[in-house]
Amino acid sequence: MSRNLVELIRRHHAVDAPTALDLLKEAMEDHGELTDADRRAAAEASGLPEAAVYGVSTFYDDLLAPRGERHVRVCTGTACFVAAGERPVEELSAGLRLAPGERSADGAVSLAETVCLGFCHSSPAVRVGEEVDAGAGAIERALAGESRPAAEPDWSSLLPEPVLTRPGAWAGLRRALDTLGREGLLAEVEAAEVRGRGGAGFPAGAKWAFAAKAKGDEKFVVANGDEGDPGSYIDKYLMERSPELLLEGMALAGYAVGAGHGFVLCRSEYPASKPALEAAAARAREAGLLGEGILGTDFAFDVTIIEGAGSYVVGEETALLACVQGLRGTVSARPPFPAERGVYGMPTVVNNVETLANIPFVAARGAEAYRALSPDSETAGSKLVCFNERFARPSVYEVPFGMTVRELCEDVAGGLRDGHQIKAVQIGGPLGGILPASLLDTVFDFDALAEVGCMVGHGSILAFDETADMRDVARHLLRFGADESCGKCFPCRIGMRRAYEEFATDAPVDRARFEALLETLELGSLCAHGSGIPAPMRSLLTHFPDELGLR
Amino acid sequence: MSEVTVDAAPDALRVTIDGTTLEVAPGTTILEAAQAAGRWIPTVCFDDRQAPFGACRVCMVAVEGSPRPLPACTTPCGNGMKVETEEPTARRVARTVVELVLSELPEPPEPHTELARVAARLGVDGSRWSGAVHPHEDDFRHPYLALRHELCISCGRCVRACDEIQGAFALTATGRGFEANIVAGLDAGFEESTCVSCGACADTCPTDAISEIGLVAQLERS
Repeated sequence: MSRNLVELIRRHHAVDAPTALDLLKEAMEDHGELTDADRRAAAEASGLPEAAVYGVSTFYDDLLAPRGERHVRVCTGTACFVAAGERPVEELSAGLRLAPGERSADGAVSLAETVCLGFCHSSPAVRVGEEVDAGAGAIERALAGESRPAAEPDWSSLLPEPVLTRPGAWAGLRRALDTLGREGLLAEVEAAEVRGRGGAGFPAGAKWAFAAKAKGDEKFVVANGDEGDPGSYIDKYLMERSPELLLEGMALAGYAVGAGHGFVLCRSEYPASKPALEAAAARAREAGLLGEGILGTDFAFDVTIIEGAGSYVVGEETALLACVQGLRGTVSARPPFPAERGVYGMPTVVNNVETLANIPFVAARGAEAYRALSPDSETAGSKLVCFNERFARPSVYEVPFGMTVRELCEDVAGGLRDGHQIKAVQIGGPLGGILPASLLDTVFDFDALAEVGCMVGHGSILAFDETADMRDVARHLLRFGADESCGKCFPCRIGMRRAYEEFATDAPVDRARFEALLETLELGSLCAHGSGIPAPMRSLLTHFPDELGLR
Repeated sequence: MSEVTVDAAPDALRVTIDGTTLEVAPGTTILEAAQAAGRWIPTVCFDDRQAPFGACRVCMVAVEGSPRPLPACTTPCGNGMKVETEEPTARRVARTVVELVLSELPEPPEPHTELARVAARLGVDGSRWSGAVHPHEDDFRHPYLALRHELCISCGRCVRACDEIQGAFALTATGRGFEANIVAGLDAGFEESTCVSCGACADTCPTDAISEIGLVAQLERS
């Protein structure tokens, strides 16, 4: 990330200038496309150079597809792909007479692809304006102009007492301010061994300790709500159903490391998330839980809710920080880590939404109680998992670590619907390995999943049934990988395209050449996007080689 | 085995590069230490006048104790670190990346370019991959600077030169993924941007995507 641009942004932020990305998004909302006049105006008001604004305007999905009066966005996430293949895109394209990315000549309607709307429980999903319709008939209703908001199933907890699937009560912040103190809270979070829930599994306490020690005039907390993993809608549920839990977790992070302000970056693909978080923040300010003098102490902390603009890689922490500051959402090499140089070049804690939602329990009840939540596992805390539309009871569930994947699939989610059989499940998002049905007795835990080339990741469990063609699955995942590459590092920028090209036609795949690509992606890529995609590809090579059309 | 001492300071770190042990100041990268030890590490996106970028991944080296190769340009030396610059896996990744870069260009790079020289020294003379290449799109509107988008490999050196050396901010990366490229200003050419015609971008470009138009060529064109 350019230090000069970050310094320009910091100075303009100090006088309340909006970010270039916010201004470009507003222009899109206002007139459905971007002009050079919009870019010049955004440069002028944000203080970013014109060229940099141009770069931003060509990066994010939301700024690229022109919008008509009725903007139809069809979900191309993995759950929708598994449920309906290419049908949603084909039928909407044919019915609207528009290719994705086009707007009708009269400006009445436009069509765009989007990954993913987080309605994986009811695929296929289509968004018209701010409303998401999903399930049987959603495509037909979108074509007829009769879309209606889809229902979202309730979440539930298998724990004796829910930790994550509950409304926040701010008891953790009270105890931290009354009894624990900063050092005590930090010690509690380190002792609780809270592992990051966004994919990497890095200990949150260690991140906090770095940021607490780092020197800076100001410090920041950033909640990563950019849950871009197709098939996952866990953070969506947390942000929309228990926003207080997240805000409390952020305030606790701020208290522990000495930060006075936090940002939540939520996804534009979840139109209900930002309003839910803003309403919760307003209630918290009213109750003296955010703002100046929190709960009668001298602790001050407040939050700003930011919406992304359509980019998967923005879920990576350095790209996330670039997006928060209104820049292109590309990845930066670490070091420097965000704990040293984050928002406006200041020490910053970046944690995933679910990770932060775990903190209030740790603060209120202590590390020991937290570590006891999963009695059959070495891993501390509980985990939210979610299931796709193929299952009989797809939703978000809070589970202890240590159950088998089979127990989760069969006992919790009720197995597949309509007598279908599980062929394989992909766990934790598009960068997670694929577990064949023969390995369903694997324990759902960090180490056990790693042993079979899989990961906990974001916690989504996405089933492919007996009708799934695994070559189509490979093509789908590689197309996603290539489309979403930020373009910064060479292995991912070029290698992901070449990997997709191996599967783009029906020609046989050159196995040796494909494996060379996987090695280069895995060992050479700058971030987990490029280094992660080999995991599901290797699963497919191991368990379904006969279906891939190799030579 | 040999030993080289560079500005030994109380907080100096001892690193070993291909068997040569040297002392370096904290914050020194593996690439800088290797250069001090007289070892060559291939690079494409690196320019010692600019902050390291870590994009090309051609400078991969093996570090004892690391399960995977590390980029030399952005990895700081640690005390006691042992680095192997030509370890087979790291070198194989570097070569494959260069092959991939050659595969994105519509024609091989001119022999005088830095990319061609790095490829030759690594023994990469073609690519296993074909597939999409960058379409020809040449911008000759500026009297001295030519911008050939099809030769751009998104190394970011021109953008950083304009930002860090000249402070003109006339250039930006555009698009994403395979379609990533560069433009000046709002893509209306150098002259319509904040470009001051300093030539720092052309000077650093490793492929001639941005090049200075020589006097003879200017006369020929006029």
